Amino acid sequence: MKRLLIGSLIAATVLATGVVQSQAQQKEWKEIRIGTEGAYPPFNNLNAKKELEGFEIDYANALCAKMQVKCTWVVQDWDGIIPALLSNKYDVIVAGMNATDERKKRVDFTSVYTRTPISMAGAKSVASTDVSPDALKGKTIGAQASTIHMNFLEAHYKGSTARGYPTQEEANLDLLNGRLDYIVADRLSLEDFIKGKGKDCCKIVADVKRDPTIHGPGVAMAIRKEDTALRDKLNAAIDASQKDGSLDAIGKKWLGFAPIQ
Amino acid sequence: MSDWVALLSFGPDGWGLALLQGAWITLSVAVVTLPFGLALGLAVALAFRSSSPFWRTAATLYTTVFRGLPELLTLYIIYFGIQLLVEHLIKLAGLQSQFSISPFLAGVVALGLVLAAFSAEVWLGAFNALHKGQVEGASALGLGRFQTFRHIVWPQLLRAALPGLGNNWMVLLKETSLVSVITLQDTMFIATRANVVTKEPFLFFGAAASIYLFFSIVSSIGLWALERRSARGFAPVGRQA
Repeated sequence: MKRLLIGSLIAATVLATGVVQSQAQQKEWKEIRIGTEGAYPPFNNLNAKKELEGFEIDYANALCAKMQVKCTWVVQDWDGIIPALLSNKYDVIVAGMNATDERKKRVDFTSVYTRTPISMAGAKSVASTDVSPDALKGKTIGAQASTIHMNFLEAHYKGSTARGYPTQEEANLDLLNGRLDYIVADRLSLEDFIKGKGKDCCKIVADVKRDPTIHGPGVAMAIRKEDTALRDKLNAAIDASQKDGSLDAIGKKWLGFAPIQ
Repeated sequence: MSDWVALLSFGPDGWGLALLQGAWITLSVAVVTLPFGLALGLAVALAFRSSSPFWRTAATLYTTVFRGLPELLTLYIIYFGIQLLVEHLIKLAGLQSQFSISPFLAGVVALGLVLAAFSAEVWLGAFNALHKGQVEGASALGLGRFQTFRHIVWPQLLRAALPGLGNNWMVLLKETSLVSVITLQDTMFIATRANVVTKEPFLFFGAAASIYLFFSIVSSIGLWALERRSARGFAPVGRQA
């Protein structure tokens, strides 16, 4: 009996230390937890000191200062990023996520704060700049899995082979070693790659035409459907940042140009 | 090559410290999971051997489920599923507070459940290797059940189970890499993030590989020493070194 009591006490202590009781978030929203991927420079990435840095980090922190709330960041792998939001691990996703109709079925989105061109990159030896589905028939095209780029390939490039990768970096690597003929991604992310590792092998071939049903209106912040107060608060802050130029200023610093094209 | 050294250094731009912290997380998850997994595995093995059909069925169901599901799936179920379940129950009870299972605990629980399922089979094999006469002899000498277990059964059980359990430990060390998908910043997490920023996959995946190999080598030496000790007094059989 004594052993049983001690045993259950130990079990209860272990359970208690494992369970993190977060403060009850009344509709006041004094503290916001932000989820991001941390693997998509220049939007969001981790540096050597394990700190988050990037356009979205600076932008969201600026919005938090404007809204006078305390923001904390959580780094979550891309594939689990929406489930974690729905499981209440954090309150908003700021991770270069496009507001597609498919995602709108599970989560709500704020106003768009970034819309950059989408391009295809290929080997330097590629002659034509035609990236239509007919021109690329039979080719192998790569993209990050579970993204609008992958959906775009699956919907429009049925004559080509589409390959999905856990991160953009891995798709870039396969273009480098010749396993892929093309990759499709956000042009900024591709330029980041072409300026660095892809300097000798690859180039940006052309921009692809946006399909609004697949690509959505642009990059926005995702929140749970029931958090309408948070959405309104964020939208107000985003609109204010567009009017006073802070969005463009932060965008120019990290992306080289204004974020909404 | 020289910038490879700079990238791995402990300075402000070097990932050396981050990698070491990741290695610490990997080791912590494995070491904390180990006792729970082994103890639960022993309990499941005893359930397998019990005379009650209820416990035998329960044990069979447990090992089938947790050996059959991919560990990644088990991890997702524990991390996301349990949270949703508990929040649903809290809502039903009409309370308002929020509940959040920590990723470390979720990782330990998920990996512990899987370790227990695989260890149960090892313990079972060890029980079968135990000669029935040993327990009968102990009872003839008047030893109580706990004394028999502690002095007669347990040392021989350990000797038979050690190779299999050592194997499970090595697999556990590798499986800890899965916790990178539930926000724990372990070795694989740091290696992938470092690769994304520095674009040096070979360097960082090589560093991650070295870390896992280091743990593996140290574990092998430890297990060899344990096996030698548990086989003391017996003629050397099987692996020599």
